[in-house]
Amino acid sequence: MLNPTIHICDDWISVTLPDWDSVIAAQHALSSSKYWTESVPGLDSIAVQFDPALIRPAEAAKLILDQLADLRGVTSGSGDTLTIPVCYAAEFAPDRDYIADRLGIAAETLPSWHIMQRHRVAMLGFMPGFAYLDSMDGTPAIGRLDSPRQLVPAGSIGVIGRQSCIYSFDSPGGWPIIGRTPLRLFDPSRKRTALLSAGQNIRFESISKDAFDSWQQEPTP
Amino acid sequence: MSMTVLKAGLQTSLQGAPYAGHRHLGMPAAGAADCLSLALANFLVGKSFGDIAFEITLTDALFQMSEPSLVAVVGGAEYVRINDKDHPQHQSLRINAGDTLHIGPSRPGCRTYLSVSSAIEAEKLLDGQSTYLAAGLGGYHGRALQNGDAIALSQVSPVSEVERVTPENLRPHYSNNHVLRVTPGPEARKPNDGVLDGLCLSPYTVSARANRMGIALEGNPLGAGKSAEMSSAAVFPGTIQMPPSGQPYLLGPDAQTTGGYPRIAQVIRADRHLIGQLGPGSKVQFVQTTTERATEIHREKLSLLSSWLGQINLW
Repeated sequence: MLNPTIHICDDWISVTLPDWDSVIAAQHALSSSKYWTESVPGLDSIAVQFDPALIRPAEAAKLILDQLADLRGVTSGSGDTLTIPVCYAAEFAPDRDYIADRLGIAAETLPSWHIMQRHRVAMLGFMPGFAYLDSMDGTPAIGRLDSPRQLVPAGSIGVIGRQSCIYSFDSPGGWPIIGRTPLRLFDPSRKRTALLSAGQNIRFESISKDAFDSWQQEPTP
Repeated sequence: MSMTVLKAGLQTSLQGAPYAGHRHLGMPAAGAADCLSLALANFLVGKSFGDIAFEITLTDALFQMSEPSLVAVVGGAEYVRINDKDHPQHQSLRINAGDTLHIGPSRPGCRTYLSVSSAIEAEKLLDGQSTYLAAGLGGYHGRALQNGDAIALSQVSPVSEVERVTPENLRPHYSNNHVLRVTPGPEARKPNDGVLDGLCLSPYTVSARANRMGIALEGNPLGAGKSAEMSSAAVFPGTIQMPPSGQPYLLGPDAQTTGGYPRIAQVIRADRHLIGQLGPGSKVQFVQTTTERATEIHREKLSLLSSWLGQINLW
């Protein structure tokens, strides 16, 4: 039993869960339910939104608790690991020296430092398809940039502390940037609109500048 | 057939129903900031409540139509002029080829909706067409309209014969003083007890930092530094966050889907359309209610509106 803490607003409900694995399991269970117009995972909670013309808040609370009670024994266990190609060339990595300096390693070894870490998608947010990734291996603290950039190009990979992120659109941002992927993180014309989803395992792979420039977007099922 | 933007003003964009069911992908709601004014304007030209229309922000805007059409204006606009002649809001207006349509600045209020009977050609995205400005998606090339833009229109049928006037009792009162009802947010308790009382103590002023993503409020500071950190969690339009400054931040339709500041309150669904009319300098008094009462208010409001608009939803 998850024994969640529940908070009820007039058209959404937030449930605090004991750990991140239960958030992912809850998202699998709740996202397919007809009662919820939205089901949004956080890092240690999940929220669902409903139409208050159809469901009363107290009814919604009962429904979600019933649905979460059935989660017993379910684990996230997402199997597949998605490989994300990254070009770590200096022109795509404006903060390479800053990050290398913080880590006390040579800038040339940054790609291998980043690649050897195992990552998984903690959640999406900030922009459509923007992914927050947790590193399962220890990484020394790397701080946010003192002043955010006005423009971080789409595909840029940022690193702060034990987290990485992937920018899905050109946007302002304060993450130190280590490289860039040619993959499109969000593409409404694709069946899989967002390339990533919470719970997914990620592996980064280093590609050359030539490979980046000639990258063909593979049709995603 | 097209509508040319002669003067776009501060921010005019195509907005209709919000995107739904994509927040877990980081896709915000977008859509009309004041869905009630949009629904009223759309009905006057024979359209569905969530169809896209022109959302005009604060300043005046000027358009020119290439073909005859039926238009309607609902919102804070000080005046509506066709070829410099004044016309009322809340009424179907016939406009001829070459006519100019001048929508006055929103005074009081913040936004005005211009609906046209012809179908507005806009980017189709996911389940809608509303503009999401930050990512450049939907609407007209994903952006706010600029002077000289020609928005393609397609005539659905011969110009609609509907001639409608919104009943007086359903016309929203546009004002610079608002009361928004709230229920407690998930972080209104534990280390933050009392913040909700503080929030509802006295009116806040809408600062200049106000846009479709959110509104920074100025007024009674709330337990600054009490609980600045929390794990990122879902937020929604109408969520009131408490940043470390203690000055509340009210999320709008384009707000991102998750946030890391305490969610101290939530504006109830029935009142959320008013957020779209909060312009810089206006006053907001928050009043606490219960989720049960909020549901009743929402259903009463929908019932009242459906007597005129038919089946509609508010977001």
